[in-house]
Amino acid sequence: MAVAEERRRIGTRLVTLQVAAIVVFATLGICFWVIQIIQGTKYEEMAENNHQRTLALRAPRGVLFDRNGKVLVENRNSFTISIVREHTKDLNRTVTLLAKVAGLDEKQVKQIVDRHRGEPSYRPIVVVEDASLAQVAAITARRLDFELPDVRVEEVPTRKYPADAMAAHLFGYVGEASDAQVEAGSAEQGAIIGQQGVERAYNNLLMGQDGAKRVVVNSMGREISTLEEIAPTEGRRVQLTIDGDLQKAAEDGFRHAGFNGAALMMDPRTGEVLTYVSLPSYDPNDFAAGIDRTTWASLNTDKLKPLQNRVLQGRYSPGSTFKLVVATAALEEGLVTPSYTVNCPGGATFYGRYYKCHLKGGHGVVDMRHAIEKSCNVYFYTLGNMLGVDKIHKWAERLGLAGKTGIDLPNEQESIVPSTEWKQKRTGERWYPGETISVSIGQGQVSVTPASLAEMITTIANGGTRVTPHVIKAVDEGQGWKPVPPRATADRVAFRPDTLAALHDGLWMVVNGNGTGGRARIDGRDVAGKTGTAQVISNEGKARAKGTTADLRDHGWFIFFAPRDNPEISGVIFAEHGEHGFLGAPIAKHVIETYFAKKEGKPLPQLPLLPGQAAPHEQDPDSPGVLDDSVVTVALR
Amino acid sequence: MFEKRLYYHIDWAMLAAILALCTIGVIQIYSASGGAGRLHVTQIYGIALGLVALVICLSVDYRTLADKSHFLYLGIVALLVFVLFFGVVRGGSRRWIDLGPLNLQPSEFAKATLALVLAKFFGESRRGAIMRGDLVIAGAIAAVPLLIIARQPDLGTAVTLLPVVFAVAFVAGMPMRIFGILALVGLLGAPIAWKFALQDYQKERVQTFLDPEADARGAGYQQLQARITTGSGGLWGKGFQKGTQGQLRFLPVAHNDFIFSVLAEEHGFAGVMVTLGLYLFVILRALESARLAKDRLGAYLVVGVLASFTFQVIYNVTMAAGLAPVKGLTLPLMSYGGSSMIATLAGFGLILNVRMRRFTN
Repeated sequence: MAVAEERRRIGTRLVTLQVAAIVVFATLGICFWVIQIIQGTKYEEMAENNHQRTLALRAPRGVLFDRNGKVLVENRNSFTISIVREHTKDLNRTVTLLAKVAGLDEKQVKQIVDRHRGEPSYRPIVVVEDASLAQVAAITARRLDFELPDVRVEEVPTRKYPADAMAAHLFGYVGEASDAQVEAGSAEQGAIIGQQGVERAYNNLLMGQDGAKRVVVNSMGREISTLEEIAPTEGRRVQLTIDGDLQKAAEDGFRHAGFNGAALMMDPRTGEVLTYVSLPSYDPNDFAAGIDRTTWASLNTDKLKPLQNRVLQGRYSPGSTFKLVVATAALEEGLVTPSYTVNCPGGATFYGRYYKCHLKGGHGVVDMRHAIEKSCNVYFYTLGNMLGVDKIHKWAERLGLAGKTGIDLPNEQESIVPSTEWKQKRTGERWYPGETISVSIGQGQVSVTPASLAEMITTIANGGTRVTPHVIKAVDEGQGWKPVPPRATADRVAFRPDTLAALHDGLWMVVNGNGTGGRARIDGRDVAGKTGTAQVISNEGKARAKGTTADLRDHGWFIFFAPRDNPEISGVIFAEHGEHGFLGAPIAKHVIETYFAKKEGKPLPQLPLLPGQAAPHEQDPDSPGVLDDSVVTVALR
Repeated sequence: MFEKRLYYHIDWAMLAAILALCTIGVIQIYSASGGAGRLHVTQIYGIALGLVALVICLSVDYRTLADKSHFLYLGIVALLVFVLFFGVVRGGSRRWIDLGPLNLQPSEFAKATLALVLAKFFGESRRGAIMRGDLVIAGAIAAVPLLIIARQPDLGTAVTLLPVVFAVAFVAGMPMRIFGILALVGLLGAPIAWKFALQDYQKERVQTFLDPEADARGAGYQQLQARITTGSGGLWGKGFQKGTQGQLRFLPVAHNDFIFSVLAEEHGFAGVMVTLGLYLFVILRALESARLAKDRLGAYLVVGVLASFTFQVIYNVTMAAGLAPVKGLTLPLMSYGGSSMIATLAGFGLILNVRMRRFTN
């Protein structure tokens, strides 16, 4: 009996086990059903994320050409080294090893990595831009050894700018989009966009469309195969109005003269900018592959401010060049005719204060033409006093000297020519007529950019017609060059014929008569121009500042156009601390000579590239040192 | 010794299911090793040797084997001790004896041997119900190889010996309240074990299991990848050798511990169901054999052998789905590994042995 009972017990327990097995397997089946069927899509996605990577293929930026079709800015290939953290187990180990292999400072690599720690882990963190071939070789060797599976070396197109930092401020530079730019929606995170100059102004044309590559990788991050590749689209080719030869001539001119400064020259008929110089400059190539800290720091702390785009951002006192505004205003307002004469005894008294002319003995009796030629202060004090500051302001605006020129480049500063309203708004004080006297010779609170002076002389060259300076000429949208229509002429004011004749004659006499611009004279080219000096600091301040290292020498101006009748080229030379306006004239002369030589197919003139000789001591009629210190303000900002 | 009529009582259906599982295993090993290498060939040799072991184990009457089981037991313990001192070290543990062309893993054979010894021990006890003393003795028999294996260290294999004791004791009529007491002790003992007995890496595995995504780069990586591998298979799978997780090595030891994940990825829920069905069929069929067994000894032997097999299958499949902590436990009949295959097939030889001799005296 016991045996049978035992059999039954064993049988029951075995059946229990069978049932248990069925229950367990059924549960397992349900688990698999949940994981594979219900949650299948989710895991499928995760599996795809595991083995598929989307790599960005950076699009080359559009090539920049000069007006003659010469390549100015192109692209070269460089290598970047980045870390992809997606499958990194020990980021510190990777950082340490990478720093050792590539010869980098471990701390810096860590800083870079920390800065990007918050980003998704599949996004590469670029550690080295423009890596050397030795670095690339070292990394690649390690990768093959599976030591640095999370480090990637990529070949990317990088901007290549011309040698000698030519036209650096015109081109500007590119850089990774800042957080602010990303937030503003103007760029995607990590995108390389134009940050200054043409690169920024025409970024949308130049940037192109990045491509992408979908690849299969194994668990070590190695690429196994490519699933899909969308090739990047190169940015649009853009033709600039710049003339490479004239640009070089202008920069050679500055180098030969031995000072820094700015120059903007254009075709007065169209506003096409031919040369664009701001010195000292920086090498945009340093930015092309991400600028390193030390270079950036030294550019920023440099006393000479190489990052400042002097053409558009430097504001200086225009000095005697401003007399042309007063002359135009007086003639066009009908207050005087060109034959109006003033006797200059070497100074004159207005509102109880004595204002000197630069020539001690005085110019005697001068008419408009000779007043311009000799730059007679007393003549223009008189006209300015007759006009009042608001009429001067009005004509400065008409000529394009006040406000912005509207050039198609970023960060243009407004040029300031005061008016009663302006002063009221700014200081809450009313305008004193005495202030107008110093304004009439370009002192006082007049503060203008080189670009606006170029705009002014161009308007005068055109007889009143204003053109908007611009640097873009044509764009290749894929079907050949398509000219970009110039912006509408800003203002069209035809000068009275006698105004035009007087101004042009006076300016011609400055260069070809007994004026201060003789150094720009070219036989048969009828160059017309005007010099000016911008005082950096008052005479009194000069005495006080003696012994300091700051450069307090005056700035020199030369504005010009040529030929006098039907001008083809006009512009400004700003000689920073050049002391005398006429020292800018030879630079203009060299460019004008180059212009005509090129036009007529003759060999281009060459400057002997010797360091510029110190200026011989000549009497400078533009020197504002004659002014009473109390009314001279420091114009340099 | 081998009577011809016994041939007719061999459980051909179960044998067919076993061979089907072996075949699936070979195919998945081939796939997981990317079609290159010779792992699948080695596995076929393993199966061949295993079939030889199976034939040997069913040829000799299981009663004779059980009679001599204490020699087998002593032999195995001796081998385990030998391994402890002279074994081949791989992956930080000393489990293998180097036999030239293949490495023998004695711990795999400890399972069937323990089943034999325990079956004999409980089968011979003439008392109606099991006393506490019997349990202590049975526990001691199991404890010796268990502790030695745990020292290798190979906690996974060591643990598989426990189901053998419990299953045989259960079928042999151990009172349920003792199970209750043991469960209670286990429950209370767990925190103590956590504090004193577990190694750091073992603690980490358990912690990882509780929250795998918290440590997706480290220890949780495998578990998460296992779940992804299985889950991404969907209904019909990605196709033979088309699995991305296994093929691109996101899952480690895909041909071994995670072979079921690879199967789930490449053949989907359908493949999983077929394979699980085969395993369940084998288990139910074996339990049927236990019920049909001529004597208690036979029933206990079948249950003992089946216990570690079933435990391993369930645990490995759960792990393959990413639902259990990752442990170095293979999937019997499918995972790559000669010793495991030979030992498992030898065990099934014993089960077939019991069934085919149900009519003999």
